[in-house]
Amino acid sequence: MNGNLEISVDKLPVKRLDAIEETGAERFPPDVGYDEKRESLIRRIDFAWAVEKDDNKRLKKSSKESSSSATTTPWQWQNMVENLQFAHQELSVIIDLINTVEANDAVTVAGMTRPKALPNEVLSDLSVSAATKLQCYRHLGIYFKQSAKSLEQQIAKEARFYGALIRLQQNWKVKRQRVAAPASGNEGFTIDLFDNSLYDSAPVSRPSSLSTIRIDHDSAGMLAINLPPNSCRSFRFGFLGVQSGDSSKQCSKVKNSCSPRPSKEAKESVNDDECVREKHSLLREVHQAIFYEQVFDIVNREAFKQSLGVNVTGIRENYLQLGIGLGISIFLSLIPSNQGDLSVDSWVNQNVESGILPLDSHDGVKLAEEKDDILRKSGGYPNPLTYEIYLQQVFHEYLYGRAKNKPISTGTRVSGPPTKDGSGLLGHFCLSLAHRIFSNKVHVELENAVCGVPYLHLVSHPTWHSRTSSWTVFLKVPQSILHAESNSRTAETAKSHFRTNVVVNDDCIHVEGEGTPNVVGLFKGRSEDMSSMNKYDCDLADLPVIILQQVASQVIRWLHEEALMVGIKANRDFLSLSFELDQGETVSLVAHVDPEDMRGCISWWLVMEDGFAAERKLSIDISDDASDYKKFLGHLSLDVLYSTLMDLVSLCGGGSH
Amino acid sequence: MNKGAGSGPTAAAAAAAAQKQKTLMQRVETDIASIVDNFSQLVNVARVNDPPVRNSQESFMMEMRASRMVQAADSLLKLVSELKQTAIFSGFASLNDHVEQRTNEFNQQAEKTDRMLARIGEEAAASLKELEAHYYSSGHRTTQNSQQ
Repeated sequence: MNGNLEISVDKLPVKRLDAIEETGAERFPPDVGYDEKRESLIRRIDFAWAVEKDDNKRLKKSSKESSSSATTTPWQWQNMVENLQFAHQELSVIIDLINTVEANDAVTVAGMTRPKALPNEVLSDLSVSAATKLQCYRHLGIYFKQSAKSLEQQIAKEARFYGALIRLQQNWKVKRQRVAAPASGNEGFTIDLFDNSLYDSAPVSRPSSLSTIRIDHDSAGMLAINLPPNSCRSFRFGFLGVQSGDSSKQCSKVKNSCSPRPSKEAKESVNDDECVREKHSLLREVHQAIFYEQVFDIVNREAFKQSLGVNVTGIRENYLQLGIGLGISIFLSLIPSNQGDLSVDSWVNQNVESGILPLDSHDGVKLAEEKDDILRKSGGYPNPLTYEIYLQQVFHEYLYGRAKNKPISTGTRVSGPPTKDGSGLLGHFCLSLAHRIFSNKVHVELENAVCGVPYLHLVSHPTWHSRTSSWTVFLKVPQSILHAESNSRTAETAKSHFRTNVVVNDDCIHVEGEGTPNVVGLFKGRSEDMSSMNKYDCDLADLPVIILQQVASQVIRWLHEEALMVGIKANRDFLSLSFELDQGETVSLVAHVDPEDMRGCISWWLVMEDGFAAERKLSIDISDDASDYKKFLGHLSLDVLYSTLMDLVSLCGGGSH
Repeated sequence: MNKGAGSGPTAAAAAAAAQKQKTLMQRVETDIASIVDNFSQLVNVARVNDPPVRNSQESFMMEMRASRMVQAADSLLKLVSELKQTAIFSGFASLNDHVEQRTNEFNQQAEKTDRMLARIGEEAAASLKELEAHYYSSGHRTTQNSQQ
């Protein structure tokens, strides 16, 4: 404050007598109430100095304005500035008042009334409120649009998901698990691939880990099936030590099919149909993998039972090596699907080198491999893929045919697992395989024998039984001889062919054929009237010789019959035909069989014997072609033999053509 | 479903189904009523009031109403999902028919395959026999034997 400072002195806050009455009573002024005291204090605040100051300023300004109004134009915002200044002053005064009063703690502001708003202020407030509300509605609009968009996406995703699920449900068992807090993308749906009818039966002890497949959503909302890597395994069968190039074909079929697909591949599916088909294929492969596991499990359990023809020679996780006799070893294994590109041999070698636990000595395996090499060279091994399929078919019939009480398909081709010999499924399979390999060897021997004799035919008889094979070796009389004979006698008595049947059951060779003279017929004098059938078993090493001997005896028999036809008496032995000449001499046509003879397996000798020949027989070297008593005729055809016979007949000097 | 098997389980199942249907209908009605009611309130508060404080209060209420509407819509969507799941796990009659039909188809296909295999076997046996006869009576074999 400028100017003179006025000082006011307050009365001491002492009660002063107001008056004393005659009686002596003191009269004090009445007590001032609290409100009255405040009012008095407020009234004591003097703002005169401020008011006078403002008045002086206004007068000065007005005098200035009037003096300069003629020369300058007024600023358009001048009034507003002045009004603001006045308002500022008033506000500062009031604030000072309030601070002063509150500092003295004498009075507080009870309330203030808002000054009445001006019309323009009302309109401005209204416009601000309207704009604010409009902005609120715009925000709401954006919020609704975003929500609608997300809901539409969710609807589309669910439509795809449930559409695919309904389509999969047509072929697979879909289950729902009630989850308390489902994770995003999983409502607890699963696909159950286990056949409950198998669970009660003995063969399957427990469901596979792959039996329950969880269904998820992918990023596009489509149904997704994620499998752990290497979860699917394919079945593999092969011969130990034999390269099987074809077996990798099946591996390539399930190559990487069970591995989890990245999201990019899922996006590459053109439409939902293809996606559903892919999932269906994936489930089918998992189903197949479960079946392979079941088969392998049953094979493992049966391998350790006492079974015919099966010896476990090696075992490892997901790998089993069996010896099926004849020095042959096979292996069965479960290979992860992503290893399908590896050759079977490399995988097998890995198992061999990495320490398979052989149950017998390792030499047995080596011996098996050597034998296998020989067979591989001779082509005796069947295609392992065929027997892989056969093994699966046998167990499939056993598992699902038995579980559903379905009659096992017998037909005329499929041989069901025989249980009469107690071999079991695996035993039957191994015996079938061993039989196939053995019968291939038999076939090779028969072919070699037939190839060495031009007038022999080999006919195969498919038995449609997995453990039985049959062939017939035909000896056909040439047509030229038959036509020549038909002029002389009835053709009914002429035999045009002789047959020798060879039947192999498992590894037993049974030979049956016409041949040696009938012993009973000999007593009756006419051996040719009785059909003599030889029936006997033999082994593989003796088979060629026996067949050739059988054929040679059939030729001898035929020649004997021909000789009898022309009225010449001849004596027949096993492999020789003898004619009696004058002077007690005999001439014999003798057959000699040699399977190793490259020029022909059956050769013929002409042997002459006189009455003294028996004494010298033992000293004669039979290999001497130039012997006086023996003449090597060579490997003769039937035509030549017939001609030779006729020559001998004419030499004997009897009979007519 | 065999309706004549017994009254107990069938009646209870029917009652449960009716109850569930009623519950679902109530949920639908509740959600739709919520959407309509909240939308009506949103329209009603479009009026601009004098006190700005009231306008702020109304803006908060509008946001709340909008959230409720979206929540009701989401609830309806979940209800639709439940209905689809119910349809998947309840329509066993048609599913069984479909399974039986597929089973019959596969059985027929298996029989057809067996017949085909039998025919193939017979043809293969006949062809083998013919080929063997031709081979053993052919000049090629004769030539081979003469070379030996």
